[in-house]
Amino acid sequence: MHRYDYHKPTSLAQAWQLAEEIPGARFVAGGTDLLVRIKHGHQRPPALISLRALPELQVLDEAEELRIGAAVPMGRLLRSEALQQRYPVLAEAMAVLGSPQIRNVATLGGNLCNASPAADTAPALLVLDARVELASAAGSRQLPLAQFFCGPGETSLAPGELMTCIVLPPSKPGCRARYLRKTRVGMDLAKLSLAALLELDGARCLKARLAVGAVAPVPLRLKEVERALEGQLLSDALIEAQRSAVQRLVAPIDDLRSTADYRRQVLAALAVRLLRELRGAVGGGRVGEEGGESEEGA
Amino acid sequence: MMTEIRFELNGEPVSALVASHWRLLDVLRGPLGLTGTKEGCGEGECGACTVLVDGQAVNACLYPAMEAEGRCVRSIEGLSPAPRELSPLQRAFTEHGAIQCGFCTPGMIMAAQALLDQNNAPCEQDIRDALQGNLCRCTGYVQIVAAVQQAALALNGAERGERHE
Repeated sequence: MHRYDYHKPTSLAQAWQLAEEIPGARFVAGGTDLLVRIKHGHQRPPALISLRALPELQVLDEAEELRIGAAVPMGRLLRSEALQQRYPVLAEAMAVLGSPQIRNVATLGGNLCNASPAADTAPALLVLDARVELASAAGSRQLPLAQFFCGPGETSLAPGELMTCIVLPPSKPGCRARYLRKTRVGMDLAKLSLAALLELDGARCLKARLAVGAVAPVPLRLKEVERALEGQLLSDALIEAQRSAVQRLVAPIDDLRSTADYRRQVLAALAVRLLRELRGAVGGGRVGEEGGESEEGA
Repeated sequence: MMTEIRFELNGEPVSALVASHWRLLDVLRGPLGLTGTKEGCGEGECGACTVLVDGQAVNACLYPAMEAEGRCVRSIEGLSPAPRELSPLQRAFTEHGAIQCGFCTPGMIMAAQALLDQNNAPCEQDIRDALQGNLCRCTGYVQIVAAVQQAALALNGAERGERHE
């Protein structure tokens, strides 16, 4: 077993100082991914710097603009009525992540900083135009979440920098959004995932967001699709035309969970169905409820 | 280097010397000698190590021992109301044949306890959702769900009884 020191700073200044003093030390919040990677020997940090006791990372400010501390456990977020009501798409994504035991310790900041292409919360946060706040001893900055992911496991965090919070812009009435994913079995990582958001004025689309996971090196917004929908009347034909665009814009791989070909085709089909559902499709039920592979269940 | 941590375990204050890389599971099963909490996969998939921290179910195999400082931990040993007596959940598990080899049982019962502490009238889907992080390789889940339902009824009956008194 790999041995490591464990530090519990109570201020950001202490956390940054520890990171500077201990080369190779890792910041950790819930640890549900990192501790497994350490156990498997994929990572051997000399020390972990726990972020759980930092007050800035535990805030849950339910003002019009929602601020979520990066180290707030998802279980606590799922109990927030403000979040459930105003950002149900994020609640949907968190509710399928891991198990209750995992959600009670895993954090939004951890899910994002891991930068897994399959991170469940990423597509939901991308369609919500979330921003992330990063801070180091040199100062803090905000950037759109879409600019945070650089590659599998790679982010734009500078050395010594950590994520302090996630900011969600005010939710608008008339916005509808959903998160959807496919897994092999219950409690598995997504083999593909997507979230869509539509702001409608009748049948006209004022704003469209489509984000996908596990089909590219990073969770991705499909801006070309968004631009094709915004300002338009959402006809069946226009939505159907996005199928080929989605297939062209993603870059999935073959791995143990699925094949590139399956991912591309099923993702595009689900995107079309999700957009139709959010528009208010003629005869359209909720996507994912017509049988096929189970997405839940012990 | 060993560090002393203090926390509340099953209602009693305890302290233990822990190494910095230990998990809560290591403290419970090692220095504190409580081997009811099991290690199955050791990576958060099977739920055999489930305990409650401040009332929330967590995997003790992924919970750093150092984070237990100052918290309230409840393990399977803390459920029975008196020596040689079973809690309603424990009794329901035995009566429904929800136990075969028994290895998953402590974690299964602690996950169910977390549910009943927050929702004393769960529907079947609530129970299945609450037990999603707990694997049983013997019984299947039908008897386990039935046991949790019976325990919920028993708890409600007891509460109603108390109100009538």
